[in-house]
Amino acid sequence: MYDAPNLAENKVTQDKIKIAARKVQVYYGDTHAIKDVDVDILDNTVTAFIGPSGCGKSTFLRCINRMNDTIDICRVQGDILLDGQDIYDKRVDPVQLRAKVGMVFQKPNPFPKSIYDNVAYGPRIHGLARTKADLDEIVEKSLRRAALWTEAKDRLDQPGTGLSGGQQQRLCIARAVATAPEVLLMDEPCSALDPIATAQVEELIDELRQDYSVVIVTHSMQQAARVSQKTAFFHLGNLVEYGDTGTIFTNPVDERTESYITGRIG
Amino acid sequence: MPLLWLILSVLAIATTGYVLGRARVMAGAGGDSRDLHSLPSYYGYNVALKVVLPSFLLLLVWLLAQPLIVNGTVAADIPESAIPDGSSRDLIMSEVRRTAEGLDNAVAQGLMTEDFARSARSDFNDVTQRLKDAGQIVTAQVTQPILEAAQRYRIMNDTGNLILSALVILVALAGAAWGMREMRPEFRARNVVERVVHGVLVAAASVAILTTVGIVLSLVFNTIEFFRLYPAWDFFFGTTWSPSFTGRGGSSELGVLPLLWGTFYISIVALLVAVPVGLFAAIYLSEYATPRVRSVAKPMLEVLAGIPTIVYGLFALLTVGPLLMAVFGKDGLGWMQAGTAVMTAGLVMGIMLIPFVSSLSDDIINSVPQAMRDGSYGLGATKSETIRQVVLPAALPGIVGAILLAASRAIGETMIVVLGAGAAARLSLNPFEAMTTVTAKIVSQLTGDADFASPEALVAFALGMTLFVITLGLNIFALYIVRKYREQYE
Repeated sequence: MYDAPNLAENKVTQDKIKIAARKVQVYYGDTHAIKDVDVDILDNTVTAFIGPSGCGKSTFLRCINRMNDTIDICRVQGDILLDGQDIYDKRVDPVQLRAKVGMVFQKPNPFPKSIYDNVAYGPRIHGLARTKADLDEIVEKSLRRAALWTEAKDRLDQPGTGLSGGQQQRLCIARAVATAPEVLLMDEPCSALDPIATAQVEELIDELRQDYSVVIVTHSMQQAARVSQKTAFFHLGNLVEYGDTGTIFTNPVDERTESYITGRIG
Repeated sequence: MPLLWLILSVLAIATTGYVLGRARVMAGAGGDSRDLHSLPSYYGYNVALKVVLPSFLLLLVWLLAQPLIVNGTVAADIPESAIPDGSSRDLIMSEVRRTAEGLDNAVAQGLMTEDFARSARSDFNDVTQRLKDAGQIVTAQVTQPILEAAQRYRIMNDTGNLILSALVILVALAGAAWGMREMRPEFRARNVVERVVHGVLVAAASVAILTTVGIVLSLVFNTIEFFRLYPAWDFFFGTTWSPSFTGRGGSSELGVLPLLWGTFYISIVALLVAVPVGLFAAIYLSEYATPRVRSVAKPMLEVLAGIPTIVYGLFALLTVGPLLMAVFGKDGLGWMQAGTAVMTAGLVMGIMLIPFVSSLSDDIINSVPQAMRDGSYGLGATKSETIRQVVLPAALPGIVGAILLAASRAIGETMIVVLGAGAAARLSLNPFEAMTTVTAKIVSQLTGDADFASPEALVAFALGMTLFVITLGLNIFALYIVRKYREQYE
C-alpha cells in the first residue's frame, strides 16, 4: 500500500457542499469522455482528482467553470450545482460564472503584460476596485497570497513573461485569486515546475483552503496525498472512487483504485 | 561544338561519373553499403559534382569574357581612317558584328563556302550582294576594313569556341578522374555533398542581395548625374513641379515636395481605410467566424489581392470617382471639381490593401497561443475583452509589420493613382482635389520621347531613389518596432 506522508493532517474541516455534480456526461463529438459522474465538492477543502492520462479528470474540471464552452464539439449533460444553482442553466452567464470559479492552468500562461497588469486584469474587468489605491491593495494582497510579493514587489512594471517558471505559475495563481473567486480549479498546476517551486505552490494551495474550495487535478499521487483532504479517482471516464484522501490511499474500496495507487495500472 | 551539345556532353560525363563512382566504391566495400562512410548515392553525387561544377564555372566565365576580349581586339585593329566623320568606333563595331553574323548565316544557307567567307579580300559588291541574297540586313556597301574586321571577328570567335569546348570537356574529365580517385569506403562523400548544398544556398541568397545592390547602384549613378544638372536644394525643397517639355532644362521646376505630399496624403487615406477594415475582418475571421464561414470568406477576401491594380484604377475612374462627385461635387457639397482626387485614389487603394492587412493579421492572431485566451476566459473575461486586452497586444508586433507592409505597397502604387488621382502636382490640404504621386510622375517623365541626358528625364531616377530611401526607412522602422515588442513578449 502507498505510504502517504502526513495523512493524519488531511482531515476535512468543513461539511458544506460547494459544488454538487449529478449524472454528468461529456461528449467530444462522438466520444463519450465522462460517464455518469456524481460528486460533491466541499467548501474550504482541497479536492484532488487523480487518474491515468485521458481518464477525463481535466475535462470534468473544465466543466465546473464551463471552459468547455469554448470547444465547439464539446457537449455537457447532467447537472452541476454551485451553491445549489445549476451552472448550465440558460440564465447563467458563463462569463460571470468564471469570475466565481477561477482557474489555474497546467502551463503557466501569464499575459504579455507587466506583473501588475497581469494581477490587475481580473479586478479591472469586473470593476472590483474603485480607486487606484484599491487596485494597488488588491494586487499586493493577491501577490502576498501567492507568496510572490517579496520577489516581485520591485519589478511590478516588468513583463510577467520574464519571471521563472515557478514564479510565473504563482503569478497565475495570484491573478486567479485577485478576481476573488469562491472556487479555484487547478489543472496540474505543478507539472511544469521543479520540486522547489512545486513545494512552494503546494504550501500555497494549503493556505488557499482557508478561503476557497480548491479542486486540483494531479498526476502525482504524493502531491494528492500531501495537499488534499478529499480525493476522487477517475478511470476511463468513470468516477471510480471518491472519499477522504486518507481512506483512498490507505484503504481503497475499489480494486482499480488500489491497482492505480500501487502502480499496476495507469 | 554548339553550346547545347557541350552542356549535354558534360552532363553525360557527370552521369557516367555518378554510376561509375557508385559502382567503384561499392566494389571497394565488398558490396556491403554498411561499410561505407556515406550512402552509395553520395559517392556518385561527389563524382558528378566534381565534373559539373568546375566545367560549368569555366564555361560561364569564358562565355562572359570572350565577347569582351574579341570585341576589344577587333575594335582596336580598325584603322582610324576607316571611321567616317560623325560615326564612332562603336557604330563601326556594330556594323562589323552584323557583317560577321551575315557571313555566318550565308555559309549556313549554302550561299558561300566557308573558305570564301574567310578569305574574300576584294569584290565587295559581290559580297554585299550575296549577303543581301541571303536575306541579311547589311546597311551599306561592305568596305574593306569592315569586311576584314568581320572576318577576324568570326575567326577569333570560332577559335575561341573550339578552345572552350576542348577545355570544358578536359576539365570535366579531370573532375571525373579527381572524383573517382576519392572513391574509397572511408571517404566522407556525404560531407562534401553537404558543403555543396550549403554553397548553392549561399549563391542563391547572394543573387538576391547582389541584384538589390545593382539596382541601387544604377539609381545612384543616374541620381548623381541629375544633381550635377539640377541643384539638390531646389529638388528637395522646391514646392513647384512643372517640368518643361519643350527645351533642354533651364525652364523646368522640379521640386519633389508636391509629389511627396501627394504620395503621403493618398497613402494615409488608403491606410485609414485598409487598417481598421482589414484588422476587424481579421479579428472576425480568426476569433468569431465558424470554420465553415472562415473557409469561404478568407479565400474570397484574398481574391482582392489578386486583382491587377489597373482594374482597381478603372474602378476608381468609372465608379468611385463619379460616386464621390455626386455627393461632394458641384451638385452636392461643392468641394470637388472632378472625379479624380486624393479621396478617389485613396479609397480604392485602401480597398486594394485590405487583404494585405487582414490576411497577415489573421495568421498572426491565429498564432497567439490558445493558453492566453484560456487564461483570460478563466478569469471571467468576455470574448472582446480577451481580444482587446490579451490577443491584440500579443499579436501587436506582427500586426504593425502587416500595416507597414501595406504602407510600403501604398507608397509604391502607381496605376490607381494615374487613373484615380489625376496628374496635377499640387500642395493642398483638400482631399477632394486632384494630386499626384512620385511613382506616377516617374512614369510620365520616362515615357514618350525621353532624352536621357536632360534633367527632365534624369529626375525620374532621383525620384526613384527618394522613394527607395523612404520605403527602406519605413521597413527599418518596422523591424525596429517588431524587435522591440518581441523582446518584451517572449
